[in-house]
Amino acid sequence: MNTTTHPVAPEEVMAFLDGELSAAGGQAVSAHLEDCAECSELAEQLRGTSNSLSRWKIESAPMELTASVFDLAVKKQKGRKVCRSSIFIRASFWTWKQWTGGLGVVAASLILLLAVATSNRTHSPEMADRALMFVSESAPQEHRKRISVDNTGVDGPPVTHRISITPSAIVSRQNTPGVVADSNRLFQGLGDHVPDALSLSPAPMIARTVSLTLVVKDFNASRAILDATLARHHSYAAELTANAAENAPRSIQASLRVPAPELGSVLNELRILGRVENETQAGEEVTQQHADLVARLKNSLETEQRLQAILQQRTGKITDILQVEQEISRVRGEIEQMEAEQKILEHRADFAAVNLNLREEYKAQLNAPAGSVSTRLHNALVAGFYNTSETVLRIVLFFAEYGLTILLWLVILASPGVLLWRRYHRMLAAL
Amino acid sequence: MSLAHSFELNLYAIGFKLLRGHWRKAAFRATFLGVARQFLEPAAQHTTEAAVSLRHALRKLGRTDREILFLREFEGLSYAEIAELLSLPMNTVRSRLFRARMALRELLTAPAVKTASREFAESEGRV
Repeated sequence: MNTTTHPVAPEEVMAFLDGELSAAGGQAVSAHLEDCAECSELAEQLRGTSNSLSRWKIESAPMELTASVFDLAVKKQKGRKVCRSSIFIRASFWTWKQWTGGLGVVAASLILLLAVATSNRTHSPEMADRALMFVSESAPQEHRKRISVDNTGVDGPPVTHRISITPSAIVSRQNTPGVVADSNRLFQGLGDHVPDALSLSPAPMIARTVSLTLVVKDFNASRAILDATLARHHSYAAELTANAAENAPRSIQASLRVPAPELGSVLNELRILGRVENETQAGEEVTQQHADLVARLKNSLETEQRLQAILQQRTGKITDILQVEQEISRVRGEIEQMEAEQKILEHRADFAAVNLNLREEYKAQLNAPAGSVSTRLHNALVAGFYNTSETVLRIVLFFAEYGLTILLWLVILASPGVLLWRRYHRMLAAL
Repeated sequence: MSLAHSFELNLYAIGFKLLRGHWRKAAFRATFLGVARQFLEPAAQHTTEAAVSLRHALRKLGRTDREILFLREFEGLSYAEIAELLSLPMNTVRSRLFRARMALRELLTAPAVKTASREFAESEGRV
């Protein structure tokens, strides 16, 4: 049946029988049915199908379903909220496509989040900077200390300069006064030992470490006072880093070496620079270690003297002489090693380590010179471009690193998943 | 559309949603938990051969076609009401209804009747 031979579509015949056509349309179909045997037969078939269905009696719905429908209808009519929130009600009626899409979006979001988080963790430049800071800490036995000083000016990018100084040039142990001004009396009587006569002195040797965090109002003045304090107390900075980022408080991280007797005075002078935010003091007793070292050194020196005497007084085979000289050489090496250790130990006891963190009390400035709108927009666009490319790169790196593993798991889980999905749909269709 | 009519349509919509939720849960339990399906067998007892063949034919229809057919034949809803209830265009409802009726007629012809007769004989044997 086609519309070229039949001006009326079969669906229109059905609609006519169902009373769904307008009066004019119904008259046209009725007139056509009287003339067309084929369409009349179709109409009869449709009537027959409807009659077949009308003879079938459908069992009434279960009471549970009826009660549920009325319960929901009454609540809806009264405008009350049903027990569950609307999102859960809507979700309970989602189709499988909506569930699949929703779960897919959630899974993709989680994977992306994981990718970005993992990349951030593994590629954080701060971690590398921190590692460099630890590495750059000079060994305590080095005589030449390194100081890294950043450009403290506000304008221009921070530039790091490294200079070297000799602590012996600014520190004179002979001139060190023996007064200890320790407010906490934690280190009273320390540092006033005589290293060469340590075995005779009962005074303990303690290597002291102080950590001090200060917040100051006038950063420039504090910096000047800090330099003056260090010079006045024969101290020096083993390492010093100054940061002056734009729109951020300036700060100094310094590792200071202060003669032990003057530690108290230096701390008192530092404390008045600003508000003390954190202060930690620690001491390590090295007296016993030093005494053992001195005793071993003394024994080695005596051994060396005896060997020298043997070498001078005794005569014998050339092999014996060579053996004695080798023994002298070994003992001399041990002596020099122990002397170095002794110096380090004494230096740790003589000079307390002060880890100073000096931070400016930051105030936002209204009249701060801000860049023009076009410059700021340009900078924001460039930053946005870099952020976007960095994020894309991290995602690519994540999938390059874990993509095969994810694919493997998908392959492993896909087969049973597809089988279950098909079975579910078969069950659904059979209901 | 009158208020009572609108309320009636809302009732149908709620019933449909509850029924679909029930189907999904039943299919989920049967698939993942191995719980046997419990079919509602309309007129399972005191049934006739014609009713069995009709039920057999109806099961072979697609779900949406079957729903449209039921709403039209048993609930007497108009095409527009069915379209609103199932969120389908009215022309789609009309064409699907026509297709369902034609398919049902095809299924009720000789081969299907033979199958239904066999099914009927089995059911009679069980009873």
